[in-house]
Amino acid sequence: MKFNNSNNRKVIPYEMLLGTLSSTRELVERILPENGIPSLRLGTEYLEPVIQRSIQKANEGIPVIGYHFSFPAEYLHCFDCVPVCIEGTSYFLAALLKGGIENYYDMMHNWGHPFHTCTSQKGSMGMSLDDLFRFDAIITPTAPCDCTIASYPFFKYEKQFPMVMLDLPYLHSSKSYKYYADQLNLGLEELGKIIGQEPNYNNLKKAIELENQVNAIKLEIFDLVKGIPSPIENIFNAVSAGALIFISGTPENLSFYKKMLEITKQRYTKKLHHGAPEKFRSIWPYMITFFSIDLLEWLDRELGLSVLFDIFNYNFTEPIETRADLDTMFLGMAKKGMHLPMVRQSTEFFDPFIEYCLDFAREFSADCFIYTQSIACKQFGSVPQLLREALKEELGIPMLLIEFDAGDARMTSLNTFKEKISLFMETLS
Amino acid sequence: MNLQSDPFLHIADSIYNDHIDEWRKKGKKVAGFYCTYIPEELLHAADILPFRIRATGNQDTDLGDIYMVRFTCSFVRATLDLALKGSYDFLDGFLVCNSCDHSRRMFELFSLKVFNQVRIKKEVPQFYLALPHTITKEGFEWYKQEIQELKSELEKEFNLEEISLEKLIDSISIYNQNRALLREIHEMRIGKSPKITGTEALQIQMANSSVRKDFANQELKRIVQTLHNGDSIDISNKKRILLVGSVVDNVEFTQLLEDSGAYIASDFLCFGTRNMMDDVSINSGDDPLDAITERLYYRLSCPRMMDDHIRRLNFLKDEIKRAEIQGVLLQRINNCDLHGCDNMLFSHELKELEIPVLNIDREFYQTDTTRLQTRIEAFLEMI
Repeated sequence: MKFNNSNNRKVIPYEMLLGTLSSTRELVERILPENGIPSLRLGTEYLEPVIQRSIQKANEGIPVIGYHFSFPAEYLHCFDCVPVCIEGTSYFLAALLKGGIENYYDMMHNWGHPFHTCTSQKGSMGMSLDDLFRFDAIITPTAPCDCTIASYPFFKYEKQFPMVMLDLPYLHSSKSYKYYADQLNLGLEELGKIIGQEPNYNNLKKAIELENQVNAIKLEIFDLVKGIPSPIENIFNAVSAGALIFISGTPENLSFYKKMLEITKQRYTKKLHHGAPEKFRSIWPYMITFFSIDLLEWLDRELGLSVLFDIFNYNFTEPIETRADLDTMFLGMAKKGMHLPMVRQSTEFFDPFIEYCLDFAREFSADCFIYTQSIACKQFGSVPQLLREALKEELGIPMLLIEFDAGDARMTSLNTFKEKISLFMETLS
Repeated sequence: MNLQSDPFLHIADSIYNDHIDEWRKKGKKVAGFYCTYIPEELLHAADILPFRIRATGNQDTDLGDIYMVRFTCSFVRATLDLALKGSYDFLDGFLVCNSCDHSRRMFELFSLKVFNQVRIKKEVPQFYLALPHTITKEGFEWYKQEIQELKSELEKEFNLEEISLEKLIDSISIYNQNRALLREIHEMRIGKSPKITGTEALQIQMANSSVRKDFANQELKRIVQTLHNGDSIDISNKKRILLVGSVVDNVEFTQLLEDSGAYIASDFLCFGTRNMMDDVSINSGDDPLDAITERLYYRLSCPRMMDDHIRRLNFLKDEIKRAEIQGVLLQRINNCDLHGCDNMLFSHELKELEIPVLNIDREFYQTDTTRLQTRIEAFLEMI
């Protein structure tokens, strides 16, 4: 049955998200000890007001802009708008709602959407089909994958949401950065015309400068993760992905990372580890299980397996130059856009990916890799065996491959994950 | 008249053929490529035989499965499988563009796992083209530069003299003639009294992609003449179908459709109409390389072009009228997101024409014949 959105609420999924964030925060505050899972405590604390503001502004009639996760959210600060992340909404609702959002995936399947496409988009597509999302416009790069290229036309042609498509080259070179810089510039102008606003480049500059500070802190935290035992809890990876996707460009993001850095430094100095004593250190070069982020906590507590980082928590970008002219700033924005998690790996050949996986393994003293191959990410479907061979031949490190759907437990369940990883760890012992 | 015994059509039965053999014996080069966005005219002008990679006849993907997970396209896996078994050892060059997430990764896999095998006693230069995903004037300029760079790389890697304007113009003329001949054959397929089956049309397309176009044009002229002089085929008990979607390089699939009571009167496939409807338009004084780029970039697209769905839909609508189509068969190879989603939109949009539509998924190799046949027969009965 179709939902009757007669109140003209444009971002009902954000209202759902706010509800889940608030209840999660309440549980964390009431149940966990003061120093327990600080990333979750801080993450919910800082995500909540941003989502709340978004809902309030949307209700006031401020234009709602849907954006792809590979379009840095801070770039939308040049408009008075409500930025809504298409992929982030699906996956964080999948993570926080009991039972996930399988009904929206199924709604799209029933509408003819292929089962093998990305659930991060499928969820928001289902919600749009159900009239829960009413975007005034959508902006998306043509990267990082076929799922993006294939799924977004639904929003344009079926839902009739005006859409700005930024062509992002599948090639890293100076001409690519220049080309994408022009695409960003033209795209923001086009978006401004759709919503009847001129881009405010001063506001954009401020948001970018704020993110420059955030990136510097992220790099510091990343460096501290080299410490044994790992000074961050596994669930930081999920929360940090949420911060990147939802609150980039806001003061809340900076506050979140400042506090996380403080905690990480303390733990590093005191050699403290969250959960059970660290037995093994793993790198997840791809994604975590968004359908059940409690797996991360379970690994910390039950197995003593540290997830040092996943794809959303490495490859930090260079600071963007904001003091020179606008062209220079756009060039920096383009470079950042092309080096974002998943975009970078998807728009270049495998060699650099394998090379820096090997470097990471050395620098972070990793005992193993756990490669989660998502059903949707065909652009990565040819890399696991190459990476496995490289890790084995160069470093003698094993890699576990688990095929899954990052947003849907029905493909590979939480229990299957636990079982596979537990057995894998026995082979490491 | 029966084209089934025609030697040209049988070139499609295998990967390697006598024409390639003769070509190589003359000391000439063969370059493989996956996608029709590769500028074939440029290769032709460089005196290279462009060979479109197929997996025709391969029944499994065992070796390919080592390097590609099961969520990838079984067609691409089957081509890699063949390459690992040695079927593509004859290639002297290899071109890949970012057509889709499956095929574009063949650049690395061929490099690491195929061309470096001991049995291949030669360097095989590889070329990568980054193709825009939207159709804009900026995208055109980008692609033009990519093709200009490709020309220089080809000249360098194959130690060629500069590929001259005259050679390019000559190649354009040969390729335009080739497309014109294919369209002429297509006209004899879409009419009320067709002279060629959908399966034969597919065989012609595949054979055409496996030989030099100079030779292909001679053969196509002969086939056109044969068809003109011949009788119509009997399709009185068949339903006229438009076949749309993922790559089809396997006649077993089209044969299954036609044996089940369909007549594939037209298609929207890359071994089909998508690659023959538009010509290179060149006037005196035009840069031929720009003209080649223009055709490639602005021609009837496949769903890898993100912003061009409406043009594709309009082509379907026109073709439905032109070929008096009674039913549309949308198909995708499993895990093909691009065609899967384009087909999803088509399945809703075509409702306004009140034409029956069947949307199916399949594997590249024919493993689920009975299931497919049942669905297709039921669909045809419904028409």
